[in-house]
Amino acid sequence: MDNLEDLKILAEQWFHQGVEFFQQIPPTQLYAAIGVLLLTTILLVSIRLFRRTKSNTVLLSGLSGSGKTVLFYQLRDGSTHQGAVTSMEPNEGTFVLHTENIKKGKTKPVHLVDVPGHSRLRSKLEEYLPRAAAIVFVVDALEFLPNCRAASEYLYDILTNTSVVKNKIPVLLCCNKTDKVTAHTKEFIRKQMEKEIEKLRVSRSAVSSADIANDFTLGIEGELFSFLHCYNKVTVAEASGLTGDTDQVQEFIREYVKP
Amino acid sequence: MLEQLLIFTRGGLILWTCKEIGNALKGSPIDTLIRSCLLEERSGDVSFNYDAHGAAYTLKWTFHNDLGLVFVAVYQRILHLLYVDDLLSLVKQSFAEIYDPKRMAYDDFDETFRQLRKEAESRAEELRKTKQVGKPLGNVKKQGQVSKSGLEGGNKRISESGGSKKDDGDGNKAKVGNLTNGHSNGNHQMEDDSQTSDLANGKENTTDNVALDLSKLQKLRSKGVRGRGGIRKADSIGNKGSKVTAAEPAKKATKKNRVWDDAAPKQEKLDFTDSVDENGNNDHVDIVAADQGESMMDKEEVFSSDSESEDDDEPGSDEKPEAKKKGWFSSVFQSITGKANLERTDLEPALKALKERLMTKNVAEEIAGKLCESVEASLEGKKLASFTRISSTVQGAMEDALVRILTPRRSIDILRDVHAAKEQRRPYVVVFVGVNGVGKSTNLAKVAYWLLQHNVSVMMAACDTFRSGAVEQLRTHARRLQIPIFEKGYEKDPAVVAKEAIQEATRNGSDVVLVDTAGRMQDNEPLMRALSKLINLNNPDLVLFVGEALVGNDAVDQLSKFNQKLSDLSPTGNRSLIDGILLTKFDTIDDKVGAALSMVYISGAPVMFVGCGQSYTDLKKLNVKSIVKTLLK
Ligand SMILES: Nc1nc2c(ncn2[C@@H]2O[C@H](COP(=O)(O)OP(=O)(O)OP(=O)(O)O)[C@@H](O)[C@H]2O)c(=O)[nH]1
Ligand SMILES: [Mg+2]
Repeated sequence: MDNLEDLKILAEQWFHQGVEFFQQIPPTQLYAAIGVLLLTTILLVSIRLFRRTKSNTVLLSGLSGSGKTVLFYQLRDGSTHQGAVTSMEPNEGTFVLHTENIKKGKTKPVHLVDVPGHSRLRSKLEEYLPRAAAIVFVVDALEFLPNCRAASEYLYDILTNTSVVKNKIPVLLCCNKTDKVTAHTKEFIRKQMEKEIEKLRVSRSAVSSADIANDFTLGIEGELFSFLHCYNKVTVAEASGLTGDTDQVQEFIREYVKP
Repeated sequence: MLEQLLIFTRGGLILWTCKEIGNALKGSPIDTLIRSCLLEERSGDVSFNYDAHGAAYTLKWTFHNDLGLVFVAVYQRILHLLYVDDLLSLVKQSFAEIYDPKRMAYDDFDETFRQLRKEAESRAEELRKTKQVGKPLGNVKKQGQVSKSGLEGGNKRISESGGSKKDDGDGNKAKVGNLTNGHSNGNHQMEDDSQTSDLANGKENTTDNVALDLSKLQKLRSKGVRGRGGIRKADSIGNKGSKVTAAEPAKKATKKNRVWDDAAPKQEKLDFTDSVDENGNNDHVDIVAADQGESMMDKEEVFSSDSESEDDDEPGSDEKPEAKKKGWFSSVFQSITGKANLERTDLEPALKALKERLMTKNVAEEIAGKLCESVEASLEGKKLASFTRISSTVQGAMEDALVRILTPRRSIDILRDVHAAKEQRRPYVVVFVGVNGVGKSTNLAKVAYWLLQHNVSVMMAACDTFRSGAVEQLRTHARRLQIPIFEKGYEKDPAVVAKEAIQEATRNGSDVVLVDTAGRMQDNEPLMRALSKLINLNNPDLVLFVGEALVGNDAVDQLSKFNQKLSDLSPTGNRSLIDGILLTKFDTIDDKVGAALSMVYISGAPVMFVGCGQSYTDLKKLNVKSIVKTLLK
């Protein structure tokens, strides 16, 4: 008890001293000090925000076999080397896109991550999503129909992921393998996937899943689903990782990772 | 002849292939290997068989874990190439020297490879000659090892794998050069083909042939459960199956009579087996279907992370054995510098402790062993990161592996499937199968309840026409839930009852038909045949295996036999196996959650529901994260 009393007295004394000290300082100086303090905090906060928005991480995701790894090396080296097999681990790299290399401009490198599509490795994606600036969702336009449902489910999980919704991470629906004539068009693929997601929306909203953390529902109640209804921007593009026809993908990347 | 040899990164980029060999591979054996073997935690296996597109390849592989490289050799199975293991490790050795992560083309490796191949081939040839002369095996092997020891540099995998060479029952002559050694069975496999069958692991193949055969099962799975199936050579399944069945009758006969008696239904709240009298008008059963609250399937599970605190002190305990051996200082020093590459001997104590821990959690021994082998294969040769201990590295790798296994390979969104079936104007059919007394009917009712809550109209089909009281039991559930039930009494062929039930459901517009079947022991041939008939006749959308969470080693036997029998007895040979698992009595097992892992590993099917109590609402989804945590606790 005594101790407490002592402390109280001590604190009171300090307080008084502090007040006296402030009263001694001329007001202009005081204002200046406060001003400086405010400015630095604003600066610090803005730097943090700045950094956050300026993430340069772009994710390549999509089902296994959609051509992510080929696309990754095409963007990095401008070559597919000797081809690819199913990935067991992500491919990651920070580089200036291959085509930009030639121009010798001062460009900001992109941190590109190719996340394996095998469903057993899905959990890897969640590790990368929080720091992603943009996502390229690669779809196999050749073998599209048999994979439509699985691809839509994967995309649905991405579009309802907390980080994606909160940070409004833009998604590019990249229809790959368009070098072949039998490839489906991007419009067809977009429509089919919208239809499929519409169905998922119905069944998933019924299950508030305990395990799959879909925290958000997609689209607008009572309307057929369209990618336009997403919280984030979803665009569609065509590409071919094999032949190196990746202009639209590069454009997309550069839109969100400014050179 | 070697068909192909590939070197690729774990990221999936091919670095080098043998252009000299040239002929393109049929199908995509490499992708299949990765997807259904390496990513299924079976990389501890010795080889992988690929049958599709008219090809019958055997694949062997080795990892360079530190550099993140994978080496795969593909050859025709009928050629028992003896030098493959040897060649792979030679290639690994030489390639590691020239590998540079920035370099993508290794054309200069062609020449090196040619030499290595010659070397390996001639050595194998020598080995065969000396063996034909009749020298004892052991000597020959040692000789071989001495001659290559210069190059080998501490790689123990060759000698290990040589012993457990796997034969696939094709022709029993050409096994001359079976490099046998170590713990493998020294018996000559030439005479007796039925003994060799194809156990994945040489360690255990002397004793019980009946025991499951992982590699075979896995092959069955890899043939593509739906859609892709059918290309596979059905005859190979056929004759393997007959081999297995031939060895079985002895075991089967003992357990034939009224097995359900020893698994007598305990008066559970939901079990009406006895509460209903035969006269049928069981008015005393209150029709309460109404609402018993939300099924736990739909509840967000809050996982208490109380295990966190235990995590910290527990690695210390399983590090004791190695700490003792190496001395305190050196182990601390090593953990700080983190330089040394992990070797088998370093990993062994930690893995052994981990295996034991898994087994105390009721994981089947065989599976715990396989998992540890796989983790070992993925860590051997890797550099230990700074400030980490071996035990925690091993634990981390195991955790990743467990998450991978338990993560479903395909979507388990049943409601979505139901809607899809509805669009095609047909009912979605679920067949519940399992051994006796595991709670099939009870959990069928729980699933029905859950479906009802999602505005899906459900019909039950009482196809357990074998056990008396089964139909009444189901009828009681149906009454309480106020859903229609299709029954034809006893003495009827269950396959036909199911068919009629589905027709009826199509007529009255039910969305889902839940088919109850008689419990049967996995060894009961006639009953398994009946089940196979039911499944083949009705082609259900989902075959749900109902299993008790209490089972330990038996889980493996049950599931593998169910899978095996269903596929063997199927006339077309391409009928899917078990699609999903329903684990019952999950509330009674405390932290012994191993059955979930065993069942998923062995069948490749996901756990779709978990039954955890006595009321209709006690049906949950499996929480992968919490299971993994519990397993490693
Ligand atoms: N025709 C054509 N084939 C392509 C194209 N891109 C990729 N492929 C082929 O598709 C297959 C799979 O490509 P990967 O890049 O390995 O696929 P992935 O998306 O990385 O698959 P995972 O690593 O399993 O997730 C390879 O055989 C490629 O040759 C393309 O643009 N056109
Ligand atoms: Mg890949």
